[in-house]
Amino acid sequence: MQEKVYFYATCLGSTVAQDMALAAMKLLRHFGVEIIFKQNQTCCGQPAFNSGFFNEAKKIAKYNVELFSQDLPIVVPSGSCAGMLSHDYKELLGVDSIESTHQNAEDQKINSFCSRVVELSQFLEQIGAKLEDKGSPIKITWHSNCHALRVQKCIESSKRLLAQLKNVELVELEYEAECCGFGGTFSVKEPEISNAMASAKVADIEKTGASFVISSDSGCLMNIKGTLSRQKSSVRGLSLYEFLLARITGGAL
Amino acid sequence: MREHKEIVRQSIENSQMRENLTRAMHTLQKNRANVIKSKFSDWEGLRERAKKAKNDALQNLGELLCEFEKNATKNGFIVHWASTKEQACEIIYELAAKHSVGKILKGKSMASEEIGLNHYLQARGVEAVETDLGELIIQLNNEPPVHIVVPAVHKNRHEVAEIFSTHLGAERPKSTQNIDPSDTSEIQRLNQIAKNHLRAQFEGLQMGLSGVNFALAKEGAIWLIENEGNGRMSTTAPDIHIALCGIEKVMESFEDAATMVALLTPSATGQFIPTYNNIIRGPRRDGELDGPREVHIVLFDNNRSEMLAHSDFNEALRCIRCGTCMNFCPVYDKIGGHAYGTTYPGPIGEVISPNLFGMEKTGDVLSFCSLCGRCAEVCPVKIPLDSLIRKLRSHKIGQGNNAQCEVDSISSLTNSHNNLKSQSTHFGENFIMKSFSNAATNGIKWRKAIKNAARFNGFLSSFGGILPVAKSWNKYKDLPQIKGDLHEVCAKMEGVKYE
Repeated sequence: MQEKVYFYATCLGSTVAQDMALAAMKLLRHFGVEIIFKQNQTCCGQPAFNSGFFNEAKKIAKYNVELFSQDLPIVVPSGSCAGMLSHDYKELLGVDSIESTHQNAEDQKINSFCSRVVELSQFLEQIGAKLEDKGSPIKITWHSNCHALRVQKCIESSKRLLAQLKNVELVELEYEAECCGFGGTFSVKEPEISNAMASAKVADIEKTGASFVISSDSGCLMNIKGTLSRQKSSVRGLSLYEFLLARITGGAL
Repeated sequence: MREHKEIVRQSIENSQMRENLTRAMHTLQKNRANVIKSKFSDWEGLRERAKKAKNDALQNLGELLCEFEKNATKNGFIVHWASTKEQACEIIYELAAKHSVGKILKGKSMASEEIGLNHYLQARGVEAVETDLGELIIQLNNEPPVHIVVPAVHKNRHEVAEIFSTHLGAERPKSTQNIDPSDTSEIQRLNQIAKNHLRAQFEGLQMGLSGVNFALAKEGAIWLIENEGNGRMSTTAPDIHIALCGIEKVMESFEDAATMVALLTPSATGQFIPTYNNIIRGPRRDGELDGPREVHIVLFDNNRSEMLAHSDFNEALRCIRCGTCMNFCPVYDKIGGHAYGTTYPGPIGEVISPNLFGMEKTGDVLSFCSLCGRCAEVCPVKIPLDSLIRKLRSHKIGQGNNAQCEVDSISSLTNSHNNLKSQSTHFGENFIMKSFSNAATNGIKWRKAIKNAARFNGFLSSFGGILPVAKSWNKYKDLPQIKGDLHEVCAKMEGVKYE
């Protein structure tokens, strides 16, 4: 049976992380998954939600629920956006406090939407993706996005996929559970604090001696890469999906 | 706002403080993990039970407070009620004045910090002497606590030696060069200096003041935990003991409080149990040889009853002041507790300060959070701190939910006021978020915005023309590049239905 899914590119995937979004889609295609790409897709609305602009975030949430209405998995190449779509929407739209027997058609639609959201690593595990490593030996480290770790809870899936790659040595960060200082609008509202956090993260990354830091979140990566490059570090940041694709197709990193 | 930026700038520039704090917080994090792993088989179950016990107590707070008053009075306590911090200070000052006490020895109490007791007393000629080691250090240096459990944790041994030398005339260490970090002889020397100083203070002790960790309604007793013995000294040696207690500290019974204590020190410092558990059941009884002759307890509100009535924020009253949320906060160790400007720093401070002290005064602290959620993950009583911070941000910009929940009315006991006040002066951010939401609910507008962003090659400058945003980013981090033709590529991809 051929799988068919919606692909949720995310706002960063449509802009600064376009290569990530394309790699994610190629991964899905590699495993024979058919993709529906909604041309009117936008953003999950996290910037508004996290800044307390709940009315604006609700509008965006309802827009997304309407747009992805077919009963298909919604595959998201970001643990953070996936967490927002699968979990935070319930709180935002108030369906988390309603018992299922008291839910109206609209509530059920929201619940159906939330339950269909899956982060790409989780989806690849679900379809039993086998990854054959075609790359040469390499040492990497891993950055866990906070929302992916604590809300979407997809980090273990990502790490299990990496563990399938026989020539990849993963050296974990000493302070992996610590935020890198992105936090969406936080990074521009408190740039000094964000920089202190990003610098601590970069120091932890450099300590591993890895040549790449891999993550499944474009926001964190934008933050970490921006800091690595400003501090003239030789470590490179790369999305999990680009990394996996390159390893299984023998492509250049 | 300028002041806020200035506070952040100064905090960030203090690299010695950051280094001290980061090292200390990492140690506390490891200690907590170790004790949970080695001593508890069902930590999560314990958290669940504690949450329930505290929720039950808060639901019946009015009733429990009355029961506590009744039973405590029976045990010989003299119970006082205060709605405001001024009233609480006044009650304590009046007691000192009545007994002609010029010096009160204090065990560590964040409640006393909250009501500004030391300054209140000082202005009226009564000296409040801190006896907790950390509190002593910062009192000598004229600083507020940096942390609610470890108040001087931002000072290293060299800084403490300097403070003791300046204020207590102690000798400076022989050498500060090339000290092996595992060599604790200097720390022992500093402890001895503090001990000698405090011993002299304890002589002639007439009045002692302490906080309260838990007030036990059924038993009419108070439970105080501490590590240094100064709390026991301040509560047993003097003739008069005054305990200062926020109204949310009342628990139904000893058993319920024991559940909380079991979580408290492992969370706070990684200790399995506190060094001292002081359960106080009133003044010395007839025929007893020691203990205070009078024990007063001041139950104060200071806007807690308003918070209790607020369905969005009453969960935060479960807090047992363990400080774990700040130990794990990636912002707290970068800026330190003073940057928060109130008694309560860190995630819990961000939640309770706007509630207790007003949004107008303390709302700026709400930006000290990246919403990483680690605080809620470690909170022993499962307060969803990140979610509450988000809700407070919503209140701050005037979109808050003002639903009041039905709880036992305690306003007759406390008679307090002061609502959460919203600020509606966030014009700039308002405009940005409205533009953002307009674009994010319209595919055509959105694609146009992406194209524009790609043309100017600065994604962060795309929404609402907010160039300062890109500037803030670019100050420390390189900006990413944008291609902006994802849709065109997708439309041509094999196996992809672009619709």
